Amino acid sequence: MASDVERGEEEEEEEESASELLRDRFRLCTISIAETEAKRNGMEISQPIMACISDLAFKYAKQLARDVELFAQHAGRKSINMEDVILSAHRNDHLSASLRSFSNNLKAKEPQSDRKRKKITKKEDKAAKEVLHIDS
Amino acid sequence: MEEKTFDPDLIRAIFKLVWEKRGAEREKNQLSENEAEAGPSTTKRSRQIPANGNALKLSCELLRVFVAEAIQRAAAIAEAEGSLKIEATHLERILPQLLLDF
Repeated sequence: MASDVERGEEEEEEEESASELLRDRFRLCTISIAETEAKRNGMEISQPIMACISDLAFKYAKQLARDVELFAQHAGRKSINMEDVILSAHRNDHLSASLRSFSNNLKAKEPQSDRKRKKITKKEDKAAKEVLHIDS
Repeated sequence: MEEKTFDPDLIRAIFKLVWEKRGAEREKNQLSENEAEAGPSTTKRSRQIPANGNALKLSCELLRVFVAEAIQRAAAIAEAEGSLKIEATHLERILPQLLLDF
């Protein structure tokens, strides 16, 4: 029993450091995305806000992982599906619509045809603009 | 014109971490119920291999939109105030609606 507790503690420490590492990598990605976005509006982001947004998104990613796992299990599946991800965005109609169109493009990309690729960039732009008109 | 987005491998790593933790917790609960003695690294059994490739890409997109929305909404507020930098007060104002939407 004692060895179990020890192993539990070791595992916890391992998880903590793995989580920290992931959080740092995540922060780097978030910074590049956020700066691109901010530049698009001609704005700068203050560093502490950057860290806030990144940690928030990290927590959201963890929540997403749990949600998506629950959905797949609920459907009696062993692996996650695009539908699970779309379902986890059900709170906002624009968001799920844009995710759905993104997923359709991903599905269409599989039989690699050039014609579809042009349609994709237009659809992604439209989807990005749609998401903005969410408030009121 | 490449859009910046999250790395699918990073997202998969994060997901795996969460799932393994959940698997371990579930194992622990089961073990304490059955009072089984032999407890080697049982996480191997519950290590499913979920994460469809497209689902990962979709999750990347979802997270990217999350970050983009947060920035855009905060930027709108900052612009309305006439400042050039996104600060804590701007983020505060958009946070409730953002969390409700996601």
